[in-house]
Amino acid sequence: MKDILWLIQNTLSVTFRKKKNIILYLCMPLIGIFISLLVYGGDQKAILHVGIVNQDNSEIASDTIKFLKGLENVKVVEIPNAKTKDKIISGDVDSVITFEKGYSESVLSGNPAHIQITSIKGAQITGFVKSYLYQYVDNISTISIAAAGNQQTFKQMYHDFQQTNYKLTTHSLEDTSKNKNMTNQTIGFLIMIMLMSAGNMSEIILLDKENRTYFRLLSTPINARKYLLANVSVNMIIMTIQVLITLTIMKILFNIGISMSFWQAAFVMILFSFISVGLNLVIVAFSNSRSAAGAMQNLIITPTVMISGCFWPVEVMPKTLQKIADFLPQRWTLATLTKLQEGNSFSSLSLNFMILIAFAAAFFLIAVYRFSRNNSTQNFV
Amino acid sequence: MNVLEIKNLTKKFSDFIAVDNMSLTVAEGEIFGFLGANGAGKSTTINMIAGLLRSNEGVINILGKNAAKNSRFAKMNIGMVPQDLAIYEDMTAYENVKFFAGLYGLRGQELNERVEEALEFVGLQDKHKSYPNSFSGGMKRRLNIACAIAHRPKLIIMDEPTVGIDPQSRNYILNSVRKLNEMGCTIIYTSHYMEEVEEICSRIAIIDHGKIIAEGTKEQLKSIITNTKDLWIEVKSTEKVNVESIKAINGVEAVQIDENLIKINSDTGVNNLNKIIEHFINSHLEIRSLQEKAPNLETVFLTLTGRNLRDQ
Ligand SMILES: Nc1ncnc2c1ncn2[C@@H]1O[C@H](COP(=O)(O)OP(=O)(O)OP(=O)(O)O)[C@@H](O)[C@H]1O
Ligand SMILES: [Mg+2]
Repeated sequence: MKDILWLIQNTLSVTFRKKKNIILYLCMPLIGIFISLLVYGGDQKAILHVGIVNQDNSEIASDTIKFLKGLENVKVVEIPNAKTKDKIISGDVDSVITFEKGYSESVLSGNPAHIQITSIKGAQITGFVKSYLYQYVDNISTISIAAAGNQQTFKQMYHDFQQTNYKLTTHSLEDTSKNKNMTNQTIGFLIMIMLMSAGNMSEIILLDKENRTYFRLLSTPINARKYLLANVSVNMIIMTIQVLITLTIMKILFNIGISMSFWQAAFVMILFSFISVGLNLVIVAFSNSRSAAGAMQNLIITPTVMISGCFWPVEVMPKTLQKIADFLPQRWTLATLTKLQEGNSFSSLSLNFMILIAFAAAFFLIAVYRFSRNNSTQNFV
Repeated sequence: MNVLEIKNLTKKFSDFIAVDNMSLTVAEGEIFGFLGANGAGKSTTINMIAGLLRSNEGVINILGKNAAKNSRFAKMNIGMVPQDLAIYEDMTAYENVKFFAGLYGLRGQELNERVEEALEFVGLQDKHKSYPNSFSGGMKRRLNIACAIAHRPKLIIMDEPTVGIDPQSRNYILNSVRKLNEMGCTIIYTSHYMEEVEEICSRIAIIDHGKIIAEGTKEQLKSIITNTKDLWIEVKSTEKVNVESIKAINGVEAVQIDENLIKINSDTGVNNLNKIIEHFINSHLEIRSLQEKAPNLETVFLTLTGRNLRDQ
């Protein structure tokens, strides 16, 4: 045990004395945060400018506009019809919502229509407003259907609904698609960096063999098993640090609210660390040089990271690729985190955890089997 | 007490027998030399002693204990200097020695002292903070040794520690081997260099094709072949030399060509000097000098194995 600790300590100190490694292992994971800040806009309290064109001029339409004005992070300006395009192009507003004539009738008839949403920045920007707006409109439709044509009942219910709704409108962006996307992006990048780091650290095994230091180590009280254990430990230490740094900075400094508990997210990512070490040990066990291992890493890690939705949502990919993604541990890691974000309880996700653990166990078994075979053919004790 | 006992040791690499039923005993305080040509099985034997290779058959005892069953004990008492350099390029000389010594459980003040001592021993005390990539081949070899001695093992195994280095480093290494021995270490020393083995080893085993073909002090080994002598004839050019026809001369045992020297090993009981010189004259070989040599280990080796120690 003492010798394993000595080995771990030495590997860490040699690794982190190189600037290159500090950048790779400790700074690179944060790049995901910067990317998602760039892509999705950094400030959580960013104001969404929405232009409203009201062609309906009914009570329901103006209540709807009031509802939108009440949303946090949304600034509503009413604009004349003709200026829609100009306003968007000039960047005065991020999106324009048009209530066409007939809007209020369609809502009351239980079949909402005549709403137009225009945006040039794409779905991410409008998604949040859209989801709230549709929810609101659906509710009014439901009330209308429930009232079954009775004006009095409708007025009463509508009034009550407006009252409660104002209390609800202080919802912030917490659980919006934007936030989910930012988390996915950051964690997706972290996953890739973790796989690369574990790849590098596992290659030390091959480097030691190439430099013959491995054989010298085996002539000391270290044996092959202890050596492997030390390597896995170093890997785990580095990846745990990466996870903690990334999550901390996400949570505190950049204020990207990961809408789940810090430790739950950390738990999932540490499960993934085991998968990452396991996978890279398999790669190392099957390669006899560092260049072979490097090639295998590129062949395996890069495509699987892309397919499993670490860089973009899986939903944008063709169905076949999505099916393949279901067999990838990175996908399961992200999916588990998403479920946590969606408010599923920790205990309800035990199946997900089991699957992640199974991935790790499978990789470790394959690697250990292969290593022991290597050793018996080359007869290293 | 015997530091090392090997009984009926055999190692096969698939069908190839690298070490063949070898038995050997090394007593405390010896400098024991392994002499053998390339591929003779020296490193294979040494790797089994150091616990790096598993034997197919046979027993190895270190300080009286079965090494396979007491692998930690055996490893703690052995310092292995591998044939190929095994040092970390991204660690300083000091850190290299400290790292390996630490694996043997040394810590703190004691560790630092032992590291200093080991570096001083190999003459690298001024190079604490230098990285091996700034070292000459000889300095790297010395560091390679320092990494194996800091934990003060009872048995130090050196696999060709002087291969490919400058004479100065070589002398340094030979002297440190002697010093280590005086301090009580038992040493197993492998080399291609006959002179080295002859100079420092108290006992020598000549290994060929995985077998010990002769064993003893250098005097004992030489006495095996005192019935032969060496004749060194220097010629202007060896192009026209026909080794087979020289061997055909009565009494000639072995012939070896070393640059412009033709080394003829011949039976002392046969007076064939005239015949040999006659052969050279008839072959139009211009003789530049002629020397008679007393037998040395090289001749012993040559006569016993029919092979040269080093690949030509
Ligand atoms: N891992 C291995 N697999 C197969 N054959 C091997 C292996 N290691 C050594 N051998 C063979 O065993 C024989 C003995 O090798 P060994 O390295 O012990 O020789 P050596 O006496 O140390 O030679 P050298 O002076 O060149 O170091 C050689 O023929 C070598 O090819
Ligand atoms: Mg050798």
